[in-house]
Amino acid sequence: MSTVKRTWVVNGERWTVDLPPGRRLLDALRNDLGLKGTKEGCGEGECGACTVLLNGEPVTSCLIAAGQVPDGAEIMTVEGLEKTEGGRILQEAYIERGAAQCGFCIPGMIMSSFALLSKTRTPDDAEIREAHAGNICRCTGYEKIIEAVKLAANRWPEK
Amino acid sequence: MRTVEDIEIRFPGSLAEALAWQADEKTRGRPLAGGTDLMVQWESGVAAIPERAVSLWGLKELKGIRETPRGIEIGAMTTHTELRSSPLVREKLPALAAAAATVGGRQIQNRGTIAGNVANASPAGDLAPTLLITDGLATAASASGRRDIPLAKLFTGYRKLDVRADELLVSFTLPALPAGAREKFHKIGTRAAQAISKVMGACRVRVQNGTIVSLAVSLGSVAPVPVRLPELEQWIAGRRVDLNLLEEVERRASAEVHPIDDIRSTATYRKWVSGRLVRALLEA
Repeated sequence: MSTVKRTWVVNGERWTVDLPPGRRLLDALRNDLGLKGTKEGCGEGECGACTVLLNGEPVTSCLIAAGQVPDGAEIMTVEGLEKTEGGRILQEAYIERGAAQCGFCIPGMIMSSFALLSKTRTPDDAEIREAHAGNICRCTGYEKIIEAVKLAANRWPEK
Repeated sequence: MRTVEDIEIRFPGSLAEALAWQADEKTRGRPLAGGTDLMVQWESGVAAIPERAVSLWGLKELKGIRETPRGIEIGAMTTHTELRSSPLVREKLPALAAAAATVGGRQIQNRGTIAGNVANASPAGDLAPTLLITDGLATAASASGRRDIPLAKLFTGYRKLDVRADELLVSFTLPALPAGAREKFHKIGTRAAQAISKVMGACRVRVQNGTIVSLAVSLGSVAPVPVRLPELEQWIAGRRVDLNLLEEVERRASAEVHPIDDIRSTATYRKWVSGRLVRALLEA
């Protein structure tokens, strides 16, 4: 099987991988890079558990052929959150509002929160719900997650 | 068992290179855009894993939205996110912008493309009705040239398009909303977000002094291909919009479609809701 070489910036660090181009980005992150924070839920792009940010935009990593992620792409996973001020604020807000129960959806959910707040400083309820529409949570009923995002929005750094 | 990792995905540096590969059976690959449909089909075993795929995702020639004398030209690799946020699309093709915003969540919208949605040719593809109401065209390219295909003739059967194996869809040209007309898109799914449609539809209608001048209406998931409702469109021209008309529209739209039972809904429900949906599209 022929492989392709790609160099990405993952959570601020340069990584070079050599992989079959059809390998799922999810598997590349978890197995080639050892970043096990990103979870596989449905594996069909429905549940959003595998959400990562690709050049700042949320994507379901289970549906992306890693070879299609070009050299120089910036990828942020849940492990990258604590390296940013906004990410730390979001983590604290999720904890304070009790936004996680079983926690399986959270590594994806919180990436959608981060993508939203990076662009929209004061999202209203509808915007928060829409930004998380691609993330399914079977425990919380979403209310606490929405409250956590609102709390984080209030504390979001100026720039 | 073969998996997605066994597919030889190739990455052309230009459209010309991709077309040269597609011209020869020995180098031809399954066209791969954002992967939001194909990766699911391959991983779940719904579609056979191909030997080769050609990644079109990064090709600059297939990106971009611009106004031309023939209409708004949209590159094949334009994403749903780009469609819903483009000022040009929002103003001149509002039903398309609205439909793009209902496909999947943000994650899917960031990767799913207009050509991918069309080429997948699922009867449940949400964008198709919004394209059909414009009477626009698709452009396919091959190593030997380009060909315009009226959208009305593009969908030839269940998951089948009038596009040859050596061709790639490169753009869509969609006449802008004429002055005095309006468009609407509506989708019926199991839940508000992230749903695959049971029935969806769009209309482009021009009403003058309370009378319908022209109507283009299209429904998806009611036949093997997305359809227009020509009988209703012909019948309604010149009629006054009032409660009686809307009742009659509901009856006629329902009568004109012949949906089937499948995993997402039933023929009976789809027939009934088609009437309701077309009525809702016409209610301002």
